[in-house]
Amino acid sequence: MKSTQPDPESQLREPALVVRGLSKTFYRRGGQPVRAAQDISFSVPEGRIVGLLGPNGAGKSTTIKCILGLVEPDEGEVEVFGTDAARHRRQALSMMSAVLEGSRNIYWRLTPRENMEFFCSLQGHEPSQHREYIEQLLELLNLSEAASQPVRELSQGMKQKVSIGCALARRTPLLFLDEPTLGLDVETTYQMRTLLRELATRQHRTVVISSHDMKVVQSVCSRVIIIKDGRVVADDRTENLLELFRRRTYTLELSGELPEEADRRLRSEFDNVDIKVLSHRTELSVEAARSEELYRLVDILREAGMAIEGIAGEQPDLEKAFLQIIADKTFCGQSREATK
Amino acid sequence: MTWTIFKGMFRKTAITLTRYAFNTGSQIVTFYIVFCLIFFGARALGGAVDMGETLEGILVGYFVWMLAIMAYSDLSWHVANEAQMGTLEQMYLSPAGFHWVNAAYLLSNLIINLIILSILLALMILTTGQRVVLDLVSIVPLLLLTVAPAYGIGMIMGGMALIYKRVQSSFQILQFVFIAFISVPIGRYPLVRFLPLAQGNYLLRQVMIGGARLWELTGSDLLVVMGVAAVYLGLGILIFRRCERVTRSRGLLGQY
Ligand SMILES: Nc1ncnc2c1ncn2[C@@H]1O[C@H](COP(=O)(O)OP(=O)(O)O)[C@@H](O)[C@H]1O
Ligand SMILES: [Mg+2]
Repeated sequence: MKSTQPDPESQLREPALVVRGLSKTFYRRGGQPVRAAQDISFSVPEGRIVGLLGPNGAGKSTTIKCILGLVEPDEGEVEVFGTDAARHRRQALSMMSAVLEGSRNIYWRLTPRENMEFFCSLQGHEPSQHREYIEQLLELLNLSEAASQPVRELSQGMKQKVSIGCALARRTPLLFLDEPTLGLDVETTYQMRTLLRELATRQHRTVVISSHDMKVVQSVCSRVIIIKDGRVVADDRTENLLELFRRRTYTLELSGELPEEADRRLRSEFDNVDIKVLSHRTELSVEAARSEELYRLVDILREAGMAIEGIAGEQPDLEKAFLQIIADKTFCGQSREATK
Repeated sequence: MTWTIFKGMFRKTAITLTRYAFNTGSQIVTFYIVFCLIFFGARALGGAVDMGETLEGILVGYFVWMLAIMAYSDLSWHVANEAQMGTLEQMYLSPAGFHWVNAAYLLSNLIINLIILSILLALMILTTGQRVVLDLVSIVPLLLLTVAPAYGIGMIMGGMALIYKRVQSSFQILQFVFIAFISVPIGRYPLVRFLPLAQGNYLLRQVMIGGARLWELTGSDLLVVMGVAAVYLGLGILIFRRCERVTRSRGLLGQY
């Protein structure tokens, strides 16, 4: 089959994961029903690392557990490499593994190597035939030295790495990591990010990482799906999302008072204009997306006869974008869909 | 695939058992001491009180009781523990399905339990000087039929533990209820034979004390022990599946 599409690779291959209209409401005795997932839809192309980003309680874990069949969704379909996960759960499970949030996931009485061998066999693979791979994983995860020590004696970060190793040892093409840096200190979180990036390039898997930590997603994922109150509020390539919010907030210090005419023009042409009049000075903060806008700003001020005494800019990052999306109740579907 | 999972499971069980040999050892010693207390206590009282039981009967009953407790707690505690440790969900992610993983676990443990119990039985026979007939061809099938209801009850309790995390505290009480099932004389209360363990224990006594072979037992007696096994096991599986469904729908499989 020939294709004239610009990105034939992703067009031809079927996606690793398709989620359509997934909804789940939890009913708790004596409490309000919790709509943990509401009509969640997204797809993940093969070989990509995608981030599920959202504050605590957004519905990330629920979404992942519904995909894995650990929680029964009220509505919605899940396809794993074209297989309907609800109808053919076992076949779908043979292609998925996961490190779940807040669980040990592994046996603390066993050593990392024993754990990895056990979970390899749980997937139906003969560990003796995958011994070399398991050794490779231990090395990649920097666990070779601790490989024969019971897990309970290892640090929190190492335990988490063993959990990831056990999921990898199942050798499934699709992998879910729910909050992989939760409970790790700054230093270990940094190491974990590096490790996840390395996994991405070396292991050729499709990975879905959920996190409420922006930096993890920003540094590891090529695409971000932002979830808030059980809904997908943004779904785009990480760089596009960054671009969308590549607005700088400039703070300008002006001598004297801003004329009314200039004030009016600024407010009509720029977003988030904030003017503070101090004694003999005016502090003006303005949002501008591109440098041309900044030039235009300077022009307006010059025409009004204002002298600029200082400019300070603020660098944006995904963290700000994220916080803005989360705070903005009306934000929805502003970013374009990266994939179909 | 199931064979691979069984091997993996057996290895894990064996590793845990030997690594925590002290736990295993103290468990055996406890069982042994409790047995000695019961046995010699009964013998001392034997003259004064009519136990309605022979001393050999106590030996057989205690053996059945141990196996039943092991079977029952393997199931109920296993499910509850794995849920608590956060490994239960990983079992559910096996493409073989949780039921096969669980079956592999139970079988691994049954094999190990039987080994431990054989050692204990030998110890018990040596200390008490009681003679029992060890006709394995008759004993093993009958033993499995006898403890099958214990698995069924274990499944019910394990299923409940999935939903109601606090049900665990009542696990131990059932172990003592088992004693009642074993020690109520069937001859006096015929309906008791439909309770778990009772009929199996009654037949095992015929085999291990009376020296009867499996095929020499009464057909209707065998039918009852098979029926009881099937009913309790089936009920257990049914209830466990129901509990699983509720658990999935309420999202309770993990630590929530
Ligand atoms: N089993 C459950 N029963 C009741 N409420 C639940 C259950 N699981 C999750 N919730 C609720 O659903 C919402 C989403 O939770 P979750 O999916 O864990 O969010 P996240 O992983 O994004 O932090 C939360 O309000 C949480 O309290
Ligand atoms: Mg979560």
